[in-house]
Amino acid sequence: MTESLLVDMRQITKKFPGVLANDQVELQVKRGEILALLGENGSGKSTLMSILSGLYRPDAGEIYVAGHQVSFKSPREAIKAGIGMVHQHFKQVETFSVAENVILGSKDAGFTMNTKQVEKEIAELSQGYGLQVDPTAKIWQLSVAERQRVEIVKMLYRGSKLLVLDEPTAVLTPQEARELFQVIKQMTTRGQSVILITHKLNEVMEVADRVTILRNGKSVATRERSQVNERELARLMMGQDIIAPTKRKLGNLGQPILQLKDVSAPSDSNRAGLCNVSLSVREGEILGIAGIAGNGRRELAEAIVGLRSLTGGSITLCGKDVSNFSPREIIEEGVSYIPEDRLGSGLVPNLGAIDNLILKEYRRPGLGRGPFINRKLAKEFALRLIESVGVKLTGLEAPVKMLSGGNLQRILLARELAAKPKVIVAVYPVRGLDIAAAEAVHQMLLEQRSKGAAIVLISEDLEELLKLSDNIGVLYKGTLMGVLPVTEAEPEKVGLMMLGSQPEEVKAS
Amino acid sequence: MIKLERRAAPSSMGLVLIPVIAVFLALITGAIFLYLNGLSSPKGITWGQVFAVYGGMLDGAFGSTYGVSETIVKAIPLMLCGLGVSMAFRMQLWNIGAEGQFYMGAFGASWLALTYPELPVYLMLPGMVLLGLLCGGLWALIPGIPRAYLGVNETITTLMLNYVAILWVNYFIFGPWKDPQGMNFPLSKPFEPSAVLPTLGSSRVHFGLVFALAIAVLLWFVLKQSRWGYEVTVIGESPRTARYAGMNIKKNIILVMFVSGAIAGLAGMAEVSAITQRMQQGLSPGYGYTAIIVAWLAKLNPFAIILVAILLGALQVGGYSVQTTGVPAAIVFMIQGALLFFVLGGEFFNRFRIVLKNQGKVEV
Amino acid sequence: MKLSKKILTIVFTLVLAVALVGCGSQEKPKAAEEGKKDAATDKLKVAFIYVGPVGDGGYSYAHDLGRQYLVKEMPDIETTIVESVPEGADSERVLTELAEKGNKIIFATSFGYMDPVIKVAQKYPDVKFLHCSGYKTADNVGTYFGRMYQARYLSGIVAGKTTKTNTIGYVAAFPIPEVVRGINAFTQGVRSVNPNAKVNVVWTNTWYDPAAEKEAGKSLLETGADVVAQHQDTPGPQQAAEEKGKFGIGYNSDMSKMAPKAVLTSAVWNWGPYYVNTVKAIKEGTWKSDQYWGPISDNIVDLAPFGPMVPEDVKQLVETKKQELIEGKFDVFDGPVKDQTGKERVAAGQKMSDADMLSFDWFVEGVEGTIPK
Repeated sequence: MTESLLVDMRQITKKFPGVLANDQVELQVKRGEILALLGENGSGKSTLMSILSGLYRPDAGEIYVAGHQVSFKSPREAIKAGIGMVHQHFKQVETFSVAENVILGSKDAGFTMNTKQVEKEIAELSQGYGLQVDPTAKIWQLSVAERQRVEIVKMLYRGSKLLVLDEPTAVLTPQEARELFQVIKQMTTRGQSVILITHKLNEVMEVADRVTILRNGKSVATRERSQVNERELARLMMGQDIIAPTKRKLGNLGQPILQLKDVSAPSDSNRAGLCNVSLSVREGEILGIAGIAGNGRRELAEAIVGLRSLTGGSITLCGKDVSNFSPREIIEEGVSYIPEDRLGSGLVPNLGAIDNLILKEYRRPGLGRGPFINRKLAKEFALRLIESVGVKLTGLEAPVKMLSGGNLQRILLARELAAKPKVIVAVYPVRGLDIAAAEAVHQMLLEQRSKGAAIVLISEDLEELLKLSDNIGVLYKGTLMGVLPVTEAEPEKVGLMMLGSQPEEVKAS
Repeated sequence: MIKLERRAAPSSMGLVLIPVIAVFLALITGAIFLYLNGLSSPKGITWGQVFAVYGGMLDGAFGSTYGVSETIVKAIPLMLCGLGVSMAFRMQLWNIGAEGQFYMGAFGASWLALTYPELPVYLMLPGMVLLGLLCGGLWALIPGIPRAYLGVNETITTLMLNYVAILWVNYFIFGPWKDPQGMNFPLSKPFEPSAVLPTLGSSRVHFGLVFALAIAVLLWFVLKQSRWGYEVTVIGESPRTARYAGMNIKKNIILVMFVSGAIAGLAGMAEVSAITQRMQQGLSPGYGYTAIIVAWLAKLNPFAIILVAILLGALQVGGYSVQTTGVPAAIVFMIQGALLFFVLGGEFFNRFRIVLKNQGKVEV
Repeated sequence: MKLSKKILTIVFTLVLAVALVGCGSQEKPKAAEEGKKDAATDKLKVAFIYVGPVGDGGYSYAHDLGRQYLVKEMPDIETTIVESVPEGADSERVLTELAEKGNKIIFATSFGYMDPVIKVAQKYPDVKFLHCSGYKTADNVGTYFGRMYQARYLSGIVAGKTTKTNTIGYVAAFPIPEVVRGINAFTQGVRSVNPNAKVNVVWTNTWYDPAAEKEAGKSLLETGADVVAQHQDTPGPQQAAEEKGKFGIGYNSDMSKMAPKAVLTSAVWNWGPYYVNTVKAIKEGTWKSDQYWGPISDNIVDLAPFGPMVPEDVKQLVETKKQELIEGKFDVFDGPVKDQTGKERVAAGQKMSDADMLSFDWFVEGVEGTIPK
């Protein structure tokens, strides 16, 4: 039995101040298998994998690799033992080539780099595993998916026998995700083992051989994929059955609130910006926007909230022309914005909950007189919001960056929805959230919709769009390919539009 | 084998212990050099004498009323300049130009004192304060406005403007302001008594101390309790979030640069009015630069800046004091340098730990 | 966060408290103690404060050579030095502290110490202050300086005899009378032997900046000068001359060590004899406050030994002129002296007064350059 195990983690316990992140966790990986590590955010997946990859040291427990007990003091030692982790947010040197990034930091790189030799090895390696990587390309020329492949090649190049992939699909489009799964399946046929960290049930069912489920820092179960279904996995992960999404009634749509007419805006780089986008969102409507990354989704959101200046067209809010209003003026017009990068641009990571919750409120007279902020009122205001979304915080002053993704998003939503917005622009609002948190966020949006807000929901998740939207628009290379009522928006149709087909063509086919 | 490991979070023990160890190491290093220096002198030296030098420094800076008062005199411009740059640093504006802003503040104040010497004291001093603030602030706007609108790197522009400010002042003391009784030497006329800030008793501790303390309290209060202070904090922590929240970053860059420069300008006003009592060359022996160290060591906390300024002031006062016992200036400067080196270097160990491979860990 | 703030507040309060207690305590018990020690050893304490480090090889170094001479001549005194004292807020404190520590004679060797010297002298009437190069005096404050222009004149003769291009460079420090006087005297010397030569002036606005001063020297050499004189503390211009295979005239102390192939001679300070005479006079009670401006006959200024490239006849000529200066047969700015525009400033047969020399703000004929106003 032990012979076939590549990695055996026994009774792993790790405490952080105030948190028991891992509590006597058991995890076994066999040679040549794909093991899914499933759990909600905050269930201890990342901590466990950080221990395995040498980033943290466990407080208790034993780790065996190929039958030998190990104790890693650094990631480098873990890599030496054949364990390579591909982080969700990996770091690469953009101006270096793929080959240079691969040897960067590896021990045997030495003082001079024999790049040619390395390029050859990488080319062979990537071909062998079906990973398309050009070793001479510069990193900045690559897409996120390609960069991820570089990171995988890097680990293989360093002789990794076990690849740990931390939520690899979070940054990928569905097509890219499928490709990635094919690659890792191919790897296992060549003896590689893979741990796939995820909280998506469908991924487990699609690719894993076995699955270990963590809940609240404990390993609650390990199952063969063939022996479980999604429902049981969900129950194991959450400790309860998920409420199946109820058939949703279409809302009663009122007057048009937000209208874009022929809006054009530049993009940051050579990607498509927006060109001549026209749309209208009515009172009580959720307009879903689908589109592959880089096709103008972010630009659309930023144009509406005033963070991106228009080069043409106009935006009206309740009939008032707000084209090229400053972000502040747009906020004052009653537009709320849930940005894609919630920690980086929606919150101030190093400040506490109070300071983050008053971010849109601090100018208003409710929080103090004249130029001053009444700290007591601010605290009361913050407490009210926190209570309204049911977040439990250890301290109001602790930097919010310590919070889990779900709690961060709840705080952000609490703030954005507090001022009874007329328009809400939400970008990927449940990205990276576990099922319960995602459900809560969706409920909050639906509640706003029933209160009459006009909501623009931009998402990468077609299922989410179909579940929430009244109408769905598709962006392709900066133009709006069309807006479909949700009843007519079959996934295949929307998918083809995302790839550039006109709605009419789709109908014809 | 020794290896470095990144710490997940700074250890709380380290936060207290590391500065203490750093100071200790600096003193040991200084002692070794003192000893070596003493060995080469004809009289020789004992370790007792080496450590007596430290006693001498402490004594010179704090050992008498005069020492304490002079330490404070030395610390006042450091406090004000330190408070000034800390304001800009808080918004991640690297204002290295406190030296120039100091000179321009002194220039503005001197202009009033020299052009309208007959003004009564109740107009003169407030006027000088106002002009000191204004000139320092405007001088900081010269790099501030291009930074706000064009993204011009303020580190370089503020630094270069220091030289311009000093030459500007030189032009006046070599030219239009030259004291006719000064035998053509580069000095302005002495100020009238109405243009001299009051001092505490017979000491040289002047009203600038009140300015510094008041500004420290004010800054603390503004940052903590005002809408503007909140904006500054948010912009400093995360400019993208600030933009998202509709804060006007350009306006705040300009405002903060002005305030930062104005406080440094006030330092110049106080120094020229209370200490030299005329405009002259070498008004600042680098206060604006030392202030950067003050602000960093104090982690930008206004009250800590007051404290650190006093400590650095003491280091210099004590340093000159022990020169009279035969310690060369270079050794004194070296001890001061070693102190900063070790304290700042100690920060490293707040972020990393040293691991001795195969021998368990040794926490430092 | 909270805790550290509290600690800071407490520490701050403590420091203030200590400061206040300090202010309330008895005045200077230390000085009394020091005084007793002095009585025991019974040595006269003499202090020097320098604007630069004693190792600057220039101005402060020359003063310290004088101090060393004093110690050798009068072994029964004790000297203290404080170096690198900026001319701003620090000098007043250092002077006060030296007076507090029982020094009876304090030599303040830089111009910028003038106001602080006067201020501190008022508080310590029984301490004698001697301020170099200033113009303010009091009962216990005297000034001292040397007629460096006389040595400059002699060095000008050497330069005038050496130049082939008839262009001589002068790296000037700040446009103050002392420097202008030096340029004028030097030019008078040059023109006394070579009426066709001119002296090009470049201002560096520095006293001690090796790089800038060397650059200024280079720029003069590149525009035709083949001898450079200077007024700063660093041998930069001399090194520039050495690199270009040209010649130079040093200043402050003998600069030939730094540029042996270039330095013809240096106009040097020789403070030692003055320090000895002054300390003796104060000790004997014969000293009175005055503005001492020592001539070359007192040996306070001189020329350093000539470089090997200076021919014998030039050495002879300089020696003759030096004797004439010492004997008072003539002085550097005896009329007629014309300014740059050719206007006669000192009539033939007239002598220039000390007051006029001390406030020189014009160049004599033969100087190429302007005085920034």
